[in-house]
Amino acid sequence: MLTALRSSSSSSLLRRSWRLGSPVSRRGLCSSSIVSESNDGGDRRSLLELGEVEKILNDVRADDVKVIPVGKRCDWVDYMVVATGRSTWHVKNIAEALVYKARFVKQKQKGVERMMLPSVEGQEEGKWIVVDSGRVIVHALDENARAYYKLENLWNSDPSQKEPSQDLAKAFVKIRPKNNSKKRVQGA
Amino acid sequence: MIQPQTRLNVADNSGARELMCIRIIGTSNRRYAHIGDVIVAVIKEAIPNSPLEKSEVIRAVIVRTCKELKRNNGMKIRYDDNAAVVIDQEGNPKGTRIFGAIARELRQLNFTKIVSLAPEVL
Repeated sequence: MLTALRSSSSSSLLRRSWRLGSPVSRRGLCSSSIVSESNDGGDRRSLLELGEVEKILNDVRADDVKVIPVGKRCDWVDYMVVATGRSTWHVKNIAEALVYKARFVKQKQKGVERMMLPSVEGQEEGKWIVVDSGRVIVHALDENARAYYKLENLWNSDPSQKEPSQDLAKAFVKIRPKNNSKKRVQGA
Repeated sequence: MIQPQTRLNVADNSGARELMCIRIIGTSNRRYAHIGDVIVAVIKEAIPNSPLEKSEVIRAVIVRTCKELKRNNGMKIRYDDNAAVVIDQEGNPKGTRIFGAIARELRQLNFTKIVSLAPEVL
């Protein structure tokens, strides 16, 4: 547990604590790291953080990177990242870079939950590769596939689809029926 | 419980409307397919002017079954219809959108593409 906390806390904090060197300060560090851990508690299960993913996609020069927060819409994922590669090789390299990073991160946190790599789908073909790392899912597509599937339309447009359903709910509100018959009402 | 000769609905906009299972992919001599299994199927009915035609042999992933799906927490999920999504040999879906609710077990079975196209995940 302690090692896990230490590895998750930032390295600058660790270095400072070693410079101070006293056990009290080290305990202080631990508590502070716990606080930071609880702040980031939402995406602890994710292998790759959103910032890391964005940095990697920048480094491998993926085109047209879009981050879509979908946490409100569905409970199984927080962020969808869509990126375009210029060729199948480029798409494969994007996926490869993400997996390499995940492995590298895992090697740093040795002994925690060691062998948990993101699941990669479509690696052989290279038209559409999905790297599923828990709370963040990265889609790397080539240009044709991106134009064909239009993933960002699907995930962006859905709130607008929900509004008509609210109108529909209003339409179903029970209204007292108007009495159009010419018969006299019994009570009157 | 999908077996050869079972008719299935199509849960995407690929252009097929009805499929008939002719083979379950996996081990030999397998009797039934469940959610997340890949089957070989024939298109029995197709929408006119669509890329897929009648009597074409395709692969499909089962996404809904009338037979209930058990989860470890005791939950059981069963749908009103048997439905499948048409995929190609590499596992990419032929259609671009998927209709209806889909079980989250498909994500564990490495069909994240299908799950990410679906409107609702149970």
